[in-house]
Amino acid sequence: MNPAESRLSVEWLGRVTYAAGLELQAKAVEARRNGVAGDRLLLLEHPPVITLGRNAQEANLLLSREALAEKQIEVHEVPRGGDVTYHAPGQLVGYLVVDLKARGEPDVHRFLRRTEDALIESLDGFGLRACSVPGRTGVFIPAEAGAAETPSRKIASIGIGLQHWITFHGFALNVTLDLAGFQAIVPCGLEDVTMTSVARELARGPLGLDAWSRERVSAAFSRAFA
Amino acid sequence: MRADVELPALGESVVEGTVSRWLVAVGDRVEVDQPLVEVTTDKVDAEIPSPLSGVVTQILALEGEVVPVGGCLAQIDSESKSSVKLPPTPALVPSEERSTTDAAAAGVESDPGAEPEGSRATPVARRLADENRVSLDGIEGSGTAGRITKQDVLRHTRNLAKQQPGEETAAHGLPTDSVPLASPRESVSFTPPASPASTPPASTPAPSATPPAVQVPPVASGRRRRAPIYIPVEGDRVIPMSPMRRIIAEHMVYSKHTSPHVGTVTEVDMSAVAAFRTEHRAAFEEANGFGLTFLPFIVHAVVRALKEFPALNASVIEGAIVEKKNIHVGLAVETEKGLVVPVVRNADRLSLGGLAAEIDDVAERARSKRLSADDLQGGTFTVSNPGRKGNLYGFAIINQPQVGIVRMGEMVKRPVVRTEAGEDAIVIRPMMHVALSYDHRAVDGAPANGFLYRIRELLEKAEYAL
Repeated sequence: MNPAESRLSVEWLGRVTYAAGLELQAKAVEARRNGVAGDRLLLLEHPPVITLGRNAQEANLLLSREALAEKQIEVHEVPRGGDVTYHAPGQLVGYLVVDLKARGEPDVHRFLRRTEDALIESLDGFGLRACSVPGRTGVFIPAEAGAAETPSRKIASIGIGLQHWITFHGFALNVTLDLAGFQAIVPCGLEDVTMTSVARELARGPLGLDAWSRERVSAAFSRAFA
Repeated sequence: MRADVELPALGESVVEGTVSRWLVAVGDRVEVDQPLVEVTTDKVDAEIPSPLSGVVTQILALEGEVVPVGGCLAQIDSESKSSVKLPPTPALVPSEERSTTDAAAAGVESDPGAEPEGSRATPVARRLADENRVSLDGIEGSGTAGRITKQDVLRHTRNLAKQQPGEETAAHGLPTDSVPLASPRESVSFTPPASPASTPPASTPAPSATPPAVQVPPVASGRRRRAPIYIPVEGDRVIPMSPMRRIIAEHMVYSKHTSPHVGTVTEVDMSAVAAFRTEHRAAFEEANGFGLTFLPFIVHAVVRALKEFPALNASVIEGAIVEKKNIHVGLAVETEKGLVVPVVRNADRLSLGGLAAEIDDVAERARSKRLSADDLQGGTFTVSNPGRKGNLYGFAIINQPQVGIVRMGEMVKRPVVRTEAGEDAIVIRPMMHVALSYDHRAVDGAPANGFLYRIRELLEKAEYAL
């Protein structure tokens, strides 16, 4: 279908600091709740930032704060649960502000699966085959045919907040970002997962978060949340 | 009107949620729709709003506790006018036990037949007093007909503790099911002793800024067992768990909870390895710039044994056993911040010298904090070398999602019996115990012992190309 007919409006906000992003989401949730705005997907990228949940702090950082500052990586403590994450330019961040109840589908698992499916479809648009892994929210690159291992190369992460059935936060899709940044953290404790990106998997680039790339994602989500 | 706040159905396949953070405490006045608590399920953090305006009278699930959909999280009383402070709420008991305990705590004994006529304390209270070596004399009863309740005993015990802060009050002996505090916040925080002489460690947040300096870690979330009440005693040191410590704790609890560990131990004659090492160590150090320790010999034997026993190089994943093609060996390394387990990849493709070089490299980088995330991922089996003197043997906890871990003991000279040319003789040999912990979900005793015996054979043969 034509994205213009979708009930999800997609906006590209460019580079937004993490703090501004949090504020933006709070406003978007508020506006959705008051009926001022509809369901939205806010696409953006963050300057290099490591976010720490309440339970996972300092020691998950493998580099000292000084070393991080030297690399111009900001460290941001987020007042909620969850893991250590890393964002940087070249990673497409999507804040999904969707009223699940208004859509008649108040089901967070279905929302997660729908988000995964839309990301898999987006990656298909890049010419990349991706998959989800039961029990591990996120999007992965399948292991080579015949390999007995579960997919361990993660290309997109998902984390959702929910207030009155309105979602916020969303996904982070690694497009061209420098994966070295992930080495500054222990992602999710001791999980058997390495981070990868579209550029690494396609072994070509730079691709950038250009209009063409964004359109792959925008179209897939417009269809998924039609 | 009292209303229960239940965990709503967040989706068809959502069966439970984990309480991640309480935003209110018992006694707080809340408005309708005000967020009360954050609950996490899968990768979703949901705020649960209050169904009505009123006062929070009970909080029924601790942070870290897993609650089924429909399970009660809290109770709100819409008629309660004033903020209630610390009502007697044995809130921290699983629901199936809750009804009886509630009654007990409220002083309403549900089983009067079990106690002697005219008793002035409830059985629960008496047991508690007994366990705490507190006399019932001088405790004023607040229960029905002035009977002494559990709450009265606890209050009394706390008061005693306050009066004699320097003395051990025996309250540590409180039974584990009797944390009676009203809100999770109170139950997980405490006030450090108000002694001006006690200087908190630098990392301790100022008490006024962040009250819960110590938390019952969600990791130790045995749902039935709670840590006994901690009453501060002057001179006790309170060391908040570092995030690293918490991760380790979480992982250990998770592993013990997930895998039925079985331990088996063998004794290895290290003569041949020691002889080989003695012969080559000087030249090796000269050529490589680092020493040749015993660890690479052990890892060398382990990876070769793993190739013959792939059942030990595996993971249990959702009802299947995945035997891993690659052999990536994790090495438990103690650093000043705690345990880390860097991984030597494709260890089976490395010669003894190659292993020694890799091990030296990761161990050195672990100690100097230069490990990358990749270094810590993807291990398929782990070798632990605690290397402390007097360490005969011990069983390590499996590093999930692996199914086995080998732990080295100290190498010491021991008298052993050897038979040569039909003659038994007692000889002195450098001996080392090697202990294997394995996951009995995936591996049975016979192959596990076969694997361990193979490690021993390889070490006793000691055939290496450097």
